Amino acid sequence: MSNNQAIKVENLNKAFGSGDAFVDVIHDANFTINKGELVALIAPSGAGKTTLLMMLGCVDKPNSGTIYLGDEKVFQDKWLTKETRKIRREKIGFIFQAHYLIPFLNIIDNLTLLPQANGVKDRESKQKARELLEYFDIAEKENAMPSQLSGGQNQRVAIARALMNNPEIILADEPTAALDMDRSTNVVKMLKKIAIEQDVAIVMVTHDDRMLEYCDKIMKIENKTVVFI
Amino acid sequence: MIHLAKEDIRHTLGKFLVTAMGVGMLLGIVLIMMGVYRGMISDAEVLLDDLNVDLWVVQGNTLGPFAESSRVHEDLKYTVKSITAIDKSEAITFQNLQLPLADRKLAVFAIGYDIYGEINPINLDRLVEGRVLENDHYEIVVSDKTSYKLDDKIKLGRNFYKVVGITHGTVASGGDPLVYISLKDAQELQFTYTNKRIQIDRARGIINKDSHLVNAIIATIKPAYNIDEVAQDMEKWLHKSVYTRAEQKVVLTRNVVEKASKQIGLFTVILVAVATIIIALIIYTMTLEKMKEISIMKLIGLPNSTIIKMIVEETLTLGLLAFIFGNIFSHLIYDKFPKNVLLEIRDAWLLFGIVIVASIFASFIGVKKVINADPTAAIGG
Ligand SMILES: Nc1ncnc2c1ncn2[C@@H]1O[C@H](COP(=O)(O)OP(=O)(O)OP(=O)(O)O)[C@@H](O)[C@H]1O
Ligand SMILES: [Mg+2]
Repeated sequence: MSNNQAIKVENLNKAFGSGDAFVDVIHDANFTINKGELVALIAPSGAGKTTLLMMLGCVDKPNSGTIYLGDEKVFQDKWLTKETRKIRREKIGFIFQAHYLIPFLNIIDNLTLLPQANGVKDRESKQKARELLEYFDIAEKENAMPSQLSGGQNQRVAIARALMNNPEIILADEPTAALDMDRSTNVVKMLKKIAIEQDVAIVMVTHDDRMLEYCDKIMKIENKTVVFI
Repeated sequence: MIHLAKEDIRHTLGKFLVTAMGVGMLLGIVLIMMGVYRGMISDAEVLLDDLNVDLWVVQGNTLGPFAESSRVHEDLKYTVKSITAIDKSEAITFQNLQLPLADRKLAVFAIGYDIYGEINPINLDRLVEGRVLENDHYEIVVSDKTSYKLDDKIKLGRNFYKVVGITHGTVASGGDPLVYISLKDAQELQFTYTNKRIQIDRARGIINKDSHLVNAIIATIKPAYNIDEVAQDMEKWLHKSVYTRAEQKVVLTRNVVEKASKQIGLFTVILVAVATIIIALIIYTMTLEKMKEISIMKLIGLPNSTIIKMIVEETLTLGLLAFIFGNIFSHLIYDKFPKNVLLEIRDAWLLFGIVIVASIFASFIGVKKVINADPTAAIGG
């Protein structure tokens, strides 16, 4: 077990439903993703990208197999901890197609909400939030509400939020789908930079082939299983 | 620290305040109801306290004039007076009268007393104008609530009565204003019949002997005697029912208050239930509106407790605001009610407790919604 490993998956299976409604989504997947890597996940619609991401994020329960996050084995045919949400809170950052910021909280509160739940001190989490806002060039918006920001700005806040808990892993489900070409490129370059600078493993679902050149690896769901190309 | 409930309320402040005011009005009415109840109890006791006597001798096997018809002979007061333990005793009448106003009749409760007697039922502290009765006939002391003025002439029965005194704060147990007339006038009004009736009765050989009846004999006892023992002994000798002041108070409040308290209690329960349902519904819709955010909070890993705390705090805030509005509202309108409304701090505290418990109940369905929320719902699988 190399200590460079961020995600390791063995014999992972996931199916939905039963009888006529049975859908086999992931079948016997095996792969490893290292720290500091930006990995693209591609596949046609409905192939199971979101499902795979949600299993890695300890949100969806696989049917069988093993998942390691960092050195910790979190799943072996069942969750090995009662509180999967604690794993998410402490180890994982999520980014989605939409920003999903809390509309009634201002930008800085949106960022500090999660660290506070982790018991980080107010002053500390605010400082971290300000650093990130600075980094993403939206420092002057810290007291604005999400509704007062543009789509691109909100998406940057959402990325900042995913970094607030110093995650080991960032799971990004089509983070650029709602953005134009320039902004998309910006976001992906940013993710690449974060992966290197913060030694984070990032799995990014994308439908946009032009983004692939910035990624270290390309992972594909083919015939219900995961392959690298 | 981020206060989720505070931020969310701030975000929907207008709606939140309007709801709180609406629920507040309901709670205000609950407070008024409780006040009406307190007012009734207080009214029921005014008369007893003003009379300030130790014993009530009433018709045998009756609860006395406050509960049912009671008639005893006026001269019973001499018998009572002759008892060693008794200090003073007087005959007294009670009756409902309708006083004519310009456009309608006003129901009042009249006390008839012997103006030469040794017990004066008019509490001089409450006499704000004029004097007590001094003549045997056709004088009346009225409560200021009747809106009569000094020297007004009021037609009762066949005669005009002159207003010689005005009292303030005197009410009967039913909430009707009190008036005082002489015992003779009272007996005439209560027990004598029309000339025609008397003629007919005489023709039948019936002679009206009722005009020396009264409704009760009231008495005070000498110091060093035990009221309860005296009452027991008197009951044996007199073959009448004898009540102590405390017993009479129970009769009075039980009689007047029991039905009223059930009625008011029932209204209160219904109003509190309605208020709870409204709070629950508004919190539920507020929660439904936030389902996407709640899913996201769960997805990124916020514990349920953080989210539930937000919902419960919002509910409690709503209940608390409504409670405050309710108190303001009730204090603004309570004196516009015809009945005596007594807003008491202990009732406000009671309602406060009820509101807190009701709010916690009201938050349940919102909380249940949170616990069952699917973290992937917002992002669509
Ligand atoms: N909760 C569920 N119950 C039943 N079937 C589901 C559920 N979630 C996903 N599926 C099925 O699993 C398959 C994979 O879905 P998933 O959302 O992972 O696809 P995707 O690759 O993310 O697609 P897209 O590119 O459109 O987002 C689909 O066939 C979908 O219908
Ligand atoms: Mg998807």
